[in-house]
Amino acid sequence: MFLSGSEKIDRHWVKNQNLKAMKEFVMLIRLEALPEVNFSPEEEQSLMNVWEKWVEGIIDRNILVSRGNRLGADGRTLKNGVLITNGPYVELKEIIGGYLIIRANSIDEAAEIAKGAPLVGNGTIEIRSIFSDDN
Amino acid sequence: MNEFALIFRNDFHPEAGYSPDKLQEIMKQWQTWMGGMAAKGQLANAGTRLGGDGKTVKPSNVITNGPYAEIKEMITGIIVIKAGDIDAATEIAKGCPILNAGGNVEVRDIIPMGSN
Repeated sequence: MFLSGSEKIDRHWVKNQNLKAMKEFVMLIRLEALPEVNFSPEEEQSLMNVWEKWVEGIIDRNILVSRGNRLGADGRTLKNGVLITNGPYVELKEIIGGYLIIRANSIDEAAEIAKGAPLVGNGTIEIRSIFSDDN
Repeated sequence: MNEFALIFRNDFHPEAGYSPDKLQEIMKQWQTWMGGMAAKGQLANAGTRLGGDGKTVKPSNVITNGPYAEIKEMITGIIVIKAGDIDAATEIAKGCPILNAGGNVEVRDIIPMGSN
């Protein structure tokens, strides 16, 4: 297996990786303030750089399944077949800012990984398993 | 063509109240709708259907069990479609079977990452 050239290899991660046994989890990022709405373009760029750095860390640990998507400020919500809102769906005060998919040994481990995510302001990360008939 | 995320929400464990026949029928409706979009080149990513397990990580790094439960619905899945604009994407979303099952669909524009 090809390892990066860094001097300090995190042996904990290398030893515990049994990729076939790991499961996939979706991380849903909820934010009270979307970066492109509440910040200047420079601040937004800086925030996205911080986020990107964290995602690269996830990639280095070989646990990123999908970069997912960053969701913008425009939105529509349909219910009972009709349009009920213009704008993103607001759950209490939060809006979904994006999602990505990682792999981990358990949902608890996935939640621990999520603790390190550099969210913009106040937010919540929801970890969900992928549907199977068992869950 | 732009990409739009469709986020599906419904009551917690909607499938729990359905008979096997009803479940089959709903699965068929989804297959037809997804298949129709794929055939028209509208499906960018068939996405994921989410399970009932969850953990929620809050600002103070407190972790609670279960899916996000601030409201009485949960997210059941996300897909990505292609459309000219958000109104066209919304028209496509109107065909979603979840709308016949008490759920709702949120349509969002996608900001390509690594662009500025």
